Amino acid sequence: MRPQTSLKKFNSELVTNRLIIILAILAIGSFLLSLFYIPIVKIFQFAFFSDVQFTFETFISTIADSINVTFLAFTFLQAFLSTLICIIIGIPAGYFFAKYDFRGKKLIVNLLTVPFVLPPIVVLLGFIVTYGQAGWVNILWKGLTGSENSLISIFGTFQGILLAHVFYNLSVIIRMTIPAWQSIDFEQVEVSRTLGVNRWKILWKIIFPQIRNYIISAALLVFIYTFNSFAIVLFLGEVRFQTLEVRIFKLMKASLNFPEGASLAILQLILNTIVIVFYLIFDRKTRQMAIGREKGLPEKKLFFSKTDWKQNGITLGSTVFILLIGLFTFAPILAVIIISFKPYYSGISPFYGYQQLLSTEYMPLLNNSPLRMLLNTLLFALITTIITIVLSLLIVFVLRNRYQSLKKYKSSKLEGLVSYMIILPMATSSITLAMGLFLSFNSSSLYQNSVWFFIILTHVLISLPFTTRSILAAYNRIDVELLNVASTLGASRFRVFRKIEFPMILRGLIVGAIFSFAISLGEFGATNFLVRGEYGTLSIGISKLLLTQTLQLPATMASILIIITVLCFIIIQRFGEIELKV
Amino acid sequence: MANLILKEISMRYERKYILDTLNLEINHGELVVLLGESGCGKTTLLKIVAGIIESEKGKVIVDNEDITDKPPQKRKIGYVPQAQVLFPHMKVKENIKFGLEAHKYSKEEIEKKILWVSELTQIKDLLDRYPSEISGGQKQRVALARAVVIEPKILLLDEPLSSIDATGRESLALTIRRIQTETETTTLYVTHNQEEARLISDRVGVIYDGRIQQIGKVIEIDNKPKNYLIAKIMGTTNIWSVLYQEKREKRTILTTDIGKINLKAKLERKVTGIKIDPSDFEISFGLTKEEKENVADYLDLEGTVKSIIQKEKDVIRIVVELNVEPIEYVKVDVKKTFLDKTIKPNQEIFLRINPKVVQLL
Repeated sequence: MRPQTSLKKFNSELVTNRLIIILAILAIGSFLLSLFYIPIVKIFQFAFFSDVQFTFETFISTIADSINVTFLAFTFLQAFLSTLICIIIGIPAGYFFAKYDFRGKKLIVNLLTVPFVLPPIVVLLGFIVTYGQAGWVNILWKGLTGSENSLISIFGTFQGILLAHVFYNLSVIIRMTIPAWQSIDFEQVEVSRTLGVNRWKILWKIIFPQIRNYIISAALLVFIYTFNSFAIVLFLGEVRFQTLEVRIFKLMKASLNFPEGASLAILQLILNTIVIVFYLIFDRKTRQMAIGREKGLPEKKLFFSKTDWKQNGITLGSTVFILLIGLFTFAPILAVIIISFKPYYSGISPFYGYQQLLSTEYMPLLNNSPLRMLLNTLLFALITTIITIVLSLLIVFVLRNRYQSLKKYKSSKLEGLVSYMIILPMATSSITLAMGLFLSFNSSSLYQNSVWFFIILTHVLISLPFTTRSILAAYNRIDVELLNVASTLGASRFRVFRKIEFPMILRGLIVGAIFSFAISLGEFGATNFLVRGEYGTLSIGISKLLLTQTLQLPATMASILIIITVLCFIIIQRFGEIELKV
Repeated sequence: MANLILKEISMRYERKYILDTLNLEINHGELVVLLGESGCGKTTLLKIVAGIIESEKGKVIVDNEDITDKPPQKRKIGYVPQAQVLFPHMKVKENIKFGLEAHKYSKEEIEKKILWVSELTQIKDLLDRYPSEISGGQKQRVALARAVVIEPKILLLDEPLSSIDATGRESLALTIRRIQTETETTTLYVTHNQEEARLISDRVGVIYDGRIQQIGKVIEIDNKPKNYLIAKIMGTTNIWSVLYQEKREKRTILTTDIGKINLKAKLERKVTGIKIDPSDFEISFGLTKEEKENVADYLDLEGTVKSIIQKEKDVIRIVVELNVEPIEYVKVDVKKTFLDKTIKPNQEIFLRINPKVVQLL
């Protein structure tokens, strides 16, 4: 009896499982290696090698260059201040949305995510039509005060960049701190009250420690986004203000100074990696803290009362507050749509922009017809989504390989390697991704003839962390015991995946897919770096028309992107939460 | 003939053995409850039997076949984990169907079996609901149905009552017993709650230090627990561990937390604990000094009545807080007729124990 069964030690089930895992690791590994790690090495080469000689000279002289030092300082300062302002406005707003219950709250909270998922170039356009020299805010101000001077000047000013960053990232802080307030263990507050502790001490000793990690991780995320800001600073900063990202782009594309660009990219990569690692640490802490909380902050209804004037004050104040945040968040988006119908000189149709989509009048400027740009945009987004989903599923499958982890109580080193391999792409800016591919492949015929392939690859690399995260979050919610029970009931590994795991991660998968679609739809930095000939997307088209006299056509293009993005967003809302996190 | 044999099962977790050459045999159709404190490796043992975890050493033998290296899919072992894990995206009926489909039964057979098992487990009305729409007790019945319907050779139950509220426990326990008896399924049931063991087991095994330390019928273990720890796990009342055992000529003195027991015999074996039956105390509410000296071998205890519980028609149980450091409680059964006056809470009380009635563990 015994010899017969011991032969089954390597049963087919386990072998198939291992084979799948090894294949998955190979697929992910070779993808990342050839399209991410080798290009990064190429950047290193440009930064640290002159001919074949290794040297720190270029790198040192680049980062010691006073212009670069100024831009580095600016990058830090604007990121820090943008984050700070977002925190100062966002945390009370988060508290407000967590604490008060009113009609339309869910919708408003959900809509707050819209600016974040909008393409940066659309945000920029909205920002220009709202706050620019001829923007609504300034026209309103001049009309009200009779003054000749504008209230705000956004071009070539520090305040313009800060305002735009706050506009873009405020929703991140609000959305990320609402769960922080909701996850507060309110029983601790109640117990402290019965112990006679005063309110400030409760706030400082009981509440703050519970939300601290949430705030830090949200802040680090906003810092990363603003530190790597590209489109906004490229157009608003003019020559005076450049983030590292913009500086690298200009060195690479305008000055063709590859070694200096590569050196700055390496510096940026190192700084990003440090912040991302901190972010991952704090994010893990918040996840651990969120476990086992049942009683959060009690919700209060907002209402007007006939007798209680204090209540009325709170309600009124809150309403004004919501309206202001709403106005600040949505006015630029609405402005874009309105502008798309506003004839830029009298006598032309309000639908001029939409008619122009089908014409070839702007061909010389755009290198392509607007319609073809729309098709490019959609096609790139579609292909990006498919590749990203396949890769993320493979990654998730490797990271959550139940057989390995349960049978041996620990995962293998290869799987650990995969989890580390995907951190660095998270820390890599879009310009660096594009630059790596450019430096590695620009002489190849594939690059010369089919640059769309590389544009899609950068989109995949940019959206991969988001999508993986979304699927992983869904996967982590599956109780391992479910899978155990399923296998004791006789289900094969494949059957368990098909019947249990797949249906349970489907929502996360859909959210991830749409997120990846939306990212590709509006990606600007990397696309702008790589684009050649007829492969421009709508974002590229808008950027080319941004500084022309007519804003009607770019506003039309932007409106299309807004509509598609909002549609995506509505589908996401139906299926679950957006993970704003990387 | 034994249906399930576990031979020298060993399993380490972070270098510590949580199962250490554990042996167990269960007969066909028998329900064995393994009783042990949390973290003693009970769940790990079930997972090893189910094939979810590979043990480091040892064999699992079912119906004379060594299944140690078989994957869980091919073992035909029903496993009901501690948390009520139903597939949340499937209706109750689909949950039950899952195993049948995996075993490739025909459609008619599947319908027939679902009907049979849903009657057996009394969940006929729930078949079209989702797990989120039914109560904890109902979920557990469904989990049971899902495991039983594939007619497993062995049924494994991991604390099936732990998440059920007190009022539903007994009826669910009896339901489990009924299903198990009707289907004659050999069952291994693990829990830390001795009440469950008392209620439904054929035999109970007490597990600690990675092994089954004593196994037998509940009454057997209650009457003759091998040591203090086993008695404690079995939930025996009025037991104390022996802190120190002193041998004198023709005498043995046992030091415990409630005082010294003076035995008129020279004991060679090590005594791990003492047990005093609640009805074996002599009660008085005041004794003269002479009376005390007369019975010098007796253990005298002073204390305060803390609670009074009606136990049977003419027996009351009183809980006495003893005047010792650290505080100890004893439970004393008194016949109502024996008392000439009523006992009140916080009343002083004197207890006397004849060493002859003290049971040694």
